[in-house]
Amino acid sequence: MTTTRTISTRPTRVIAAVALLVFASACKDLVVPDFNNTSLDDLTNNPTPTKITQASQGLLIGTRVGIAEQNGYVSLLGIVGRESYNFDPADPRFITEMLIGPLDGGSPAFGGNLFAAPYRNIRNANILLGATDKVTGLSVAQKSAVRGFAKTIQALDYLNVVNTRDDLGAPIDVNIGPTAVPAPIVPKAAVFTQIATLLDDGLTALNAGGGAFPFAMSPGFTDFATPAQFAKFNRALKARVEAYRGNYAALLTALNGSFLDTTAPLTLGAYHSFSTGSGDTQNALFDPAGRAILAHPSIVTDAETKPNGTLDARVLAKVTQLAAPRTVQGVTTDLVFTIYNTNTTPLPIIRNEELILLRAEARYFTADQTGALNDINLIRQTSGGLAPRGPFLNQSNFVTELLKQRRYSLLFEGGHRWIDARRFGLLSTLPKALPTHTVPSRFPFPEAECLSRIPAPTQGCT
Amino acid sequence: MRLRCALVTIATLLLSLPAAAQTRTLTGTVTDASTGQPLEGARVSVRGTAFTTTTGASGRFSLGNIPAGGITISIRRIGSNPAEIVLPPGQDDIRITLTRDPLRLSDVVVTGQATGVERRNLANAVATVSGDEISRVSAQTVEQALQGKVVGASIQANSGAPGGGMQMRLRGVTSINGSSEPLYVVDGVVLSNVAIPSNQNAVTRSTQGSNPSLTQDNQVNRIADLNPNDIENVEVLKGASASAIYGSRASNGVVIITTRRGKPGERRISATQRIGVSKISNTLGSRPFTTLADATAAWGASAANFFTPGVTYDHERELAGRTPLSSESVVDLSGGDEDTRYFASGLWKTDGGIIDNTGYAKQAVRANLDQDFGKRLNFSMQTSATKSLAQRGLTNNDNAGVSFWMVFPFTPSFLDLRRLPDGTYPPNRFGNISNPLQTAALMKNDEKVLRSILAGRLTLNAIERQAYNLKFVLNGGADQFSQENSLLFPPELQFEPLDDGEPGTALLSNSNNVNLNLGTSGVFTFTPVSGVFTATTSVGVNGSSRDLRTSRIVSRNLVGGLGIVGAGTDVRVTEQRQRVEDFGLFAQEEFLTFSERLLLTAGINADRSSANSDIKKYFYYPKLSGSLRFPQPFRALEELKLRAAYGQSGNQPLFGQKFTPLSATENIAGLPGIVVPVQGPVGSTNLRPERQKEIEAGTDLTFAGGRGAVELTGFRKDVSDLLLQRTLAPSSGFGFEVFNGGKLRTTGAEVGVSLVPIQSEEMEWIFRTSFASTRSKIVSLPVPTFRGLGFGTALGSFQFEQGASATQIVGNDSLPDGSTVVRKIGDANPSFTMSFSNNLRFRRLRLYGLLDWQHGGSIINLTKFLYDLGSNTADYADPITVGTLQTTKGANRLRLFPKQTAVYVEDASFMKLREVTLSFEVPPTMVSRFGRGVRSAELSLSGRNLLTHTGYTGMDPEVSNFGNQPIGRNIDVGPFPPSRSFWFSVNLGF
Repeated sequence: MTTTRTISTRPTRVIAAVALLVFASACKDLVVPDFNNTSLDDLTNNPTPTKITQASQGLLIGTRVGIAEQNGYVSLLGIVGRESYNFDPADPRFITEMLIGPLDGGSPAFGGNLFAAPYRNIRNANILLGATDKVTGLSVAQKSAVRGFAKTIQALDYLNVVNTRDDLGAPIDVNIGPTAVPAPIVPKAAVFTQIATLLDDGLTALNAGGGAFPFAMSPGFTDFATPAQFAKFNRALKARVEAYRGNYAALLTALNGSFLDTTAPLTLGAYHSFSTGSGDTQNALFDPAGRAILAHPSIVTDAETKPNGTLDARVLAKVTQLAAPRTVQGVTTDLVFTIYNTNTTPLPIIRNEELILLRAEARYFTADQTGALNDINLIRQTSGGLAPRGPFLNQSNFVTELLKQRRYSLLFEGGHRWIDARRFGLLSTLPKALPTHTVPSRFPFPEAECLSRIPAPTQGCT
Repeated sequence: MRLRCALVTIATLLLSLPAAAQTRTLTGTVTDASTGQPLEGARVSVRGTAFTTTTGASGRFSLGNIPAGGITISIRRIGSNPAEIVLPPGQDDIRITLTRDPLRLSDVVVTGQATGVERRNLANAVATVSGDEISRVSAQTVEQALQGKVVGASIQANSGAPGGGMQMRLRGVTSINGSSEPLYVVDGVVLSNVAIPSNQNAVTRSTQGSNPSLTQDNQVNRIADLNPNDIENVEVLKGASASAIYGSRASNGVVIITTRRGKPGERRISATQRIGVSKISNTLGSRPFTTLADATAAWGASAANFFTPGVTYDHERELAGRTPLSSESVVDLSGGDEDTRYFASGLWKTDGGIIDNTGYAKQAVRANLDQDFGKRLNFSMQTSATKSLAQRGLTNNDNAGVSFWMVFPFTPSFLDLRRLPDGTYPPNRFGNISNPLQTAALMKNDEKVLRSILAGRLTLNAIERQAYNLKFVLNGGADQFSQENSLLFPPELQFEPLDDGEPGTALLSNSNNVNLNLGTSGVFTFTPVSGVFTATTSVGVNGSSRDLRTSRIVSRNLVGGLGIVGAGTDVRVTEQRQRVEDFGLFAQEEFLTFSERLLLTAGINADRSSANSDIKKYFYYPKLSGSLRFPQPFRALEELKLRAAYGQSGNQPLFGQKFTPLSATENIAGLPGIVVPVQGPVGSTNLRPERQKEIEAGTDLTFAGGRGAVELTGFRKDVSDLLLQRTLAPSSGFGFEVFNGGKLRTTGAEVGVSLVPIQSEEMEWIFRTSFASTRSKIVSLPVPTFRGLGFGTALGSFQFEQGASATQIVGNDSLPDGSTVVRKIGDANPSFTMSFSNNLRFRRLRLYGLLDWQHGGSIINLTKFLYDLGSNTADYADPITVGTLQTTKGANRLRLFPKQTAVYVEDASFMKLREVTLSFEVPPTMVSRFGRGVRSAELSLSGRNLLTHTGYTGMDPEVSNFGNQPIGRNIDVGPFPPSRSFWFSVNLGF
């Protein structure tokens, strides 16, 4: 009995001690932070110059999202605009939905795509603008430079939205609580007005932005790394916007402030950058063997030849032939792109060649036919190696020539062929491989955008 | 809070020690009433005291120091009915006989965190599976061993891949977005059952499409690490009415696993050697091509280069036609004396895979120790260490054309993919970039897990009196594992330079998980001397933490083709960490009276968690239950029990759901940026656990002298405060908001019937059957109808809609006017499940079989869709007439797609012969031939999943491309094929 007693007394103490331990844990506060992310509250409420720097650089990351993916902006607009195909064996909808149609807002990777990513970056810009108002430690000029940059990038993202949704319009007053009733959808013209306003406000802010940005630019913006240089990118975007809404006088004014330079390389411009670094993104349009991304056969069949009989230099530079043709669901091609020939090849946002073609368009429609012809011939010769052409017979003849040059100069860089065909009412001229194929004029709203609106928009929702 | 904290301390300090009194020593023998054989392992105790002992091999027992006065002796033994004997003063020797309890009605079932009650008094339908039932046929994982054995549980494999990946769902749908995993408690320790993806997605690019999540990696949920042979007993609490005492993690049910323990007596060694073989049990086949014209029509002119009339290749069997040998060696050792008991076991298992470079190997050791320090204090410890290697192949959805059954649909049967004499493989030339035979031969997808589980328990019988006793329990445990996923796709693979221009990919993921538990409880049992009632009061506290950290490296463009991630030029690193801390308190009162016929229980759990928005707030989960037994209500009935139980439990938010994060892990050309993440969540300021209220009622009947039992149960679960995702308008820039709302109702019925039609020395026949059926309905949904897993409505998708079944599948459908609508085209929930088991013993021969039947339910068969797209389905070219249209079956399905998704939604009904065993117990006269010291020997032939009868045209109706999911199972996208296994076993006892 005595042994039992002594043994059982000690555990009594042990249990009492552990009970105290439990007592301690009962009073523990259970605070566990988010180990994996920073928080919105932190950036909004406690901005510092370092966080502003990183949030600014974040806009360059954000505006790149959804552009160079295999189902991104360039690829999907390339398909509907008959510049490219995607023969991904794992997803037949690159043909059933993108070529045959209809586009389905319920497929986030196809019809409902190209919407969330630009709006996410519009939010990024709004968060940055809010934090910039609050931050201490940046000069007035530095803050102005950040605002000018943020508004310009925001305008680019809105432009990508309206380019795909076109006459559906789009929501613009989106700087509201993330769970608030969604912003109303405004008509296309109002979206363009918003874009123009953002670009003009951005320009004003950049002009007051001092000599340097308080953050670093990616390599794709090397030529636009100061507020003054970036203002030229801002004006280039403005020129594109004015072309899309047919304000040709304003287009010419914008071009004056842009980096248009007939003596500079046609490749001068702003680009999305990629790298193989950890945490960075690669250019997924790089697909040398044509596993998924292929070029439309009409690129070769529609091309002009140089005086020496070979094809347009742009065709030779941008596509090459596969060993054997590929056929999927009755669609055949033997071409692949060589435009993005590494997984880090930069992707153009806007460049000198487009600006010259924008000037040609504006000159023609402001009754400067000679100037227009000069610009067109400059591109024909320097970019395509083609012979100069003679004066335009009529407007239709000009538009045909303009769209052809734009098609080959801006091939597979951002849906230019589809957008151009649409704005000149020529979508029906785009080639269809099979009679069942269709050419959509716009993408529908994503299903989630429709479902979160009561009532759902009458257009663009199924 | 301080008061609550203090209570514990005070209770602990209330220890007092009884004074010594006059004593005597009691001895006796326990024997079987029908055979007179001595019974070993019977627990003999003096009622109202802690004096307890266990009979040895000869059925003898001895109890010293017991009170000299009149006492009541209680005798319990697993497999026998309990007995109580009043012993007058002076009688110090006794013979006790026990009657058999073939249906185990007298087993004690754990119902609280610290207490248990006899099955005959249970107010809930708690399912119990014994270790014997689990280890009859070799199983890779515990869940596999439980398939078809738990009434009301749906246990299904996600694919046929070796090494696990199975889901157990108890009583239907309990959540839409929350965790759907039951809580696994092993020897008092809450085990981690996380499923960590392998990151094969870096090669399959399955997330590139419509479903950006890693869950298509065919991942294994980690309960797979347990050694099924170590299990003594599994108890399954199927809903809140039974599991309330486990609080906010218990609404998917609780699976309580007890491992084997040593018993006093002679040292015993048991060794089992199993040798088996596995074989693919189903293939899909592909379209036959008899003429060159057919071949070129389907595959283009280049088919002529490969087509030879009459020559076809069965690619599926070339890939998965291996019939590898498997082996399993199990040794266990147990014994001990009154003070010290031990159990130790070892497992060495090697299961071959039906595909090259696949398989499963597991080694495990366990040591369980029980030590008494005198009569009052007991310490027990369970330790185990497991090492496993699962080689999983490359299956499930992909967007890269590399996953085996994503390539076959686009590969004609006349193409020879086999290895060439020079050791290389012919490239796949039909729009594919991979040859699955080459991929399987050269790749690796290895999942290595090292796991150790440690559980300890200290029990102090602080006060022992005739009328009352007080017991304190301190228990704690640690569950630690590391998982390494190492994948290699060498540059020689056909697809390696083609998919991304970077030859060779090496992937390495390391995960480390630590779960810690610590709890203490006190149990006070009061029985007045009159014995009118017994009241058991238990209170306790417990704290736990779960910490999981995963780092992943993706390395491409492997220099020199080396298989290490350091050899790549394109290297990406990511890391994720999550941690949850919980703290809870519970109290429970059990009141047993009316000659132990009426049991009333009330309990409450209060807990708080770091996963909730308010980490200080306690959430309360009460329960209340009662059962009443009527012995011999009619002549034909031995006993009738009526029971009802009500309880609440919770389902915690997942880690991170309460935050609104900004991503800080991205950069552009090295410039770091802060951005809203893709599909970025918006946290709620009032995120709390889902709450399940379950009411269950039923009746249990016992008849034919305890040889027949029927259990009838109905239940209703109302789950409110669902963790819902409100999809935000994409124009907000964010993806979704997680919030609590809505209500889900699941109702169901369960029937269990057990019969022992024959029971004699010569022969015994035990027959069991079970039936379960559930229906769920979304009663209210404060968000617009939304879709869950699936690939868009054209390919079928789960849809959550007020008033509809939670498991409905919607898809496109055509209206007579030619327009397309999205509407319900199926439901994943089966109309009912049944199982039948027979255990027939004739002398030394035993035959056992288990049949598992699911009726109804729908599967989205996207594998078939892919075969159709490749014009390659086995029945593609079979002619069919639709109205006036002469077409083929495949072309007709494609004609209806995508306007009628239903052509790819199929019935999931199946009947599977899960387990069969024929065993022979070697007569004692021949046992010695097996070697010296051999006391018993048994030989058996067994098989698992031998036969499947189903109308489903996919490989296996048990399928889930997205792994374990609350709702979105039953999506078939190129899964790992199922296999059947045959075993020969020898079991020797020493």
